[in-house]
Amino acid sequence: MYQYNEVDQTLVQERVEQFRDQTRRFLAGELSEDDFLALRLMNGLYIQRYAPMLRVAVPYGLMSSTQMRKLALIARKYDRGYGHITTRTNIQYNWPKLEEVPDILAELAEVQMHAIQTSGNCIRNTTTDEYAGINANEIEDPRPYCEIIRQWSTLHPEFAYLPRKFKIAVTGGPEDRAASQVHDIGLHIVRNDAGEVGFEVLVGGGLGRTPFIGKVVRNFLPKQHLLSYLDAILRVYNLNGRRDNKYKARIKILVDAMGVEAFGELVEAEWQSFGKDGQLTLTDTEIERAKSFFKPLDYDLSAVNDTSLDQQLAEDKSFNAWYERNTVAHKVDGYRAVVVSLKPLLVAPGDITDAQMDLVADLSDQYSMGEIRSTHQQNLVLGEVKKADLYALWKVLDANQLARANVGTLTDMICCPGFDFCALANAKTINIAEQINNCFDDLDHLYDLGDIRLNMSGCINACGHHHVADIGILGVDKKGEDWYQITLGGSSKADARLGKVLGKAVAADDVATTLQTVLSVYVENRKEEESFADTVQRLGIAPFKERVYAPVN
Amino acid sequence: MPLLINREVVQNDPWQFVTAEAIEAGEPLPVGSVAVPLAYFVEHKANLLARSGEVGVTVNGGDDLQALIASLADVSLVAVEFPVFRDGRGFSIARKVVRAGFKGEVRAVGDVGRDRLEYMESCGFNAFEVNGESFSDDTLKAFTEISVNYQGTAADPRPIFRR
Repeated sequence: MYQYNEVDQTLVQERVEQFRDQTRRFLAGELSEDDFLALRLMNGLYIQRYAPMLRVAVPYGLMSSTQMRKLALIARKYDRGYGHITTRTNIQYNWPKLEEVPDILAELAEVQMHAIQTSGNCIRNTTTDEYAGINANEIEDPRPYCEIIRQWSTLHPEFAYLPRKFKIAVTGGPEDRAASQVHDIGLHIVRNDAGEVGFEVLVGGGLGRTPFIGKVVRNFLPKQHLLSYLDAILRVYNLNGRRDNKYKARIKILVDAMGVEAFGELVEAEWQSFGKDGQLTLTDTEIERAKSFFKPLDYDLSAVNDTSLDQQLAEDKSFNAWYERNTVAHKVDGYRAVVVSLKPLLVAPGDITDAQMDLVADLSDQYSMGEIRSTHQQNLVLGEVKKADLYALWKVLDANQLARANVGTLTDMICCPGFDFCALANAKTINIAEQINNCFDDLDHLYDLGDIRLNMSGCINACGHHHVADIGILGVDKKGEDWYQITLGGSSKADARLGKVLGKAVAADDVATTLQTVLSVYVENRKEEESFADTVQRLGIAPFKERVYAPVN
Repeated sequence: MPLLINREVVQNDPWQFVTAEAIEAGEPLPVGSVAVPLAYFVEHKANLLARSGEVGVTVNGGDDLQALIASLADVSLVAVEFPVFRDGRGFSIARKVVRAGFKGEVRAVGDVGRDRLEYMESCGFNAFEVNGESFSDDTLKAFTEISVNYQGTAADPRPIFRR
């Protein structure tokens, strides 16, 4: 993985001292609330319902075991013993003290981490595929480009006060595990007819109250032009995005209002007149330098000779179920990627305790070359596990509530923190997640239902990505009560599409039973092996709506 | 309203700023160096250039930036307005002005606070009318809080990988 050099290290350390001084000036009354707000947000610090919330950046979801131990220490020393993995693959702490945040940032800087630009109207953490570098179908590993974007976007002097926040996702091949089409910019590594590698560029995707799927603004961008083209898009957005209404300030609104062709022409004019072939043009040396940090790891090629796994799978049904659901193919024979489920039965989705973080760090050292990935579905991944080690690893994970064999099923939910923590939320989410977990606690039932993406947001800002789930749940406030609107048929994958609203919102107590009704329509109507998503696409929403809102006799 | 030029406090500002309201009210232009709104400059360019004294323009995010770029050869000051600090269009305006080859004064006016000075300078501003209430000697430290950058600056536009 990427290792800081002197410049990177100097930057994060000086940034800590800068923020320490800003916090001091704020507490001394020298800096207004409003001024400090913008500054603290750009260091990941929110003031939430009960306490500040600090969001720490995990660039493109990749961490070392050393970094994970530091995150555990922060949870223990400065928070209440846990953290929460977010859909931007970051980690957030819900109970830090404002005056201690500079110290937390100093702790992070010791392990090449920071909270820079995890909030605010600036370029946020760039995300990618959690199986980058280990997925056989990718054209190239996207992480070197993510690192190039990380550096370019970090403390960018021109793009720190954009009309609104700005999110970029990069995928390495035809599969999309990064929800790239609902990002402000989605970059897809592609190969052109001449066999050269470059990017398909999408703009104007996004969720929130006005969701859009991103539109292609350029079919093929040669890779050396990556930064100059991003620079052109950002400048056009910075100068033309709406600033009169924060709900209309995202680039998706600008692209929709202008049309992607007209927007693309502005970008092209900006790019051709200045950036193209200019200083931001990536050199081969720089691309190779970035790639040098993500070379294939030191794999043990004899791992393929293992024969123990098959026997263990045959003998242990629970292990087998976990293997089927929570491990993924690796491009190197003899290895698997392991998803560490942060969706146990009665814990908020994505939460992880300090002890679990320490444990995962140790396990990654022992079994996965010391690296850990975080996913936008709010799980962790140990990407480099020998097949012969899976059984031993599973036993430890299982003993520590990290091996619920539910990855990809209904209870592997994406879920925002909701009203329990978030100052923006209209409704609670964690209690609904618990209700769904209790109702669908039988794993065999979940396996029968198959792959189902369930995403839940506690308000229209859609941090839980409810629009792009097979089943989306949106919490709404009706006269002081929590109600839940259900959507069906969304996707954040390569076939990205927005879900359709099932009908009027249901009461809090009825969410799980409504899902039961929806799923019974699926089970009764599915063809052999047909997934929930495919059944919804084939049938449309009508039969589901009919059953859910059938008059009660 | 302390004025900083090239990181130094300047006591006497040679520029007189003429607002659109003053022009509409029919007030005559003062003698000496004047900065006028871009739209007024475009309309009265010949008369303005015939005066003795230098001419500058004030611009904001709503102005026609092509007209600004076309005017740069005739002005020696571009003052970019920040109506509120959150309005970051001024950063991009400065970038465009500098990269067009403008060598004069690029001044940030309006809601200009200490904690944005370094970014502003990187984008090409060399003069700042800093909010009075927040100005102190400590303000000058803002320019050197972060000693490294990835992107390049107006002074050295090379991104880190070209240095």
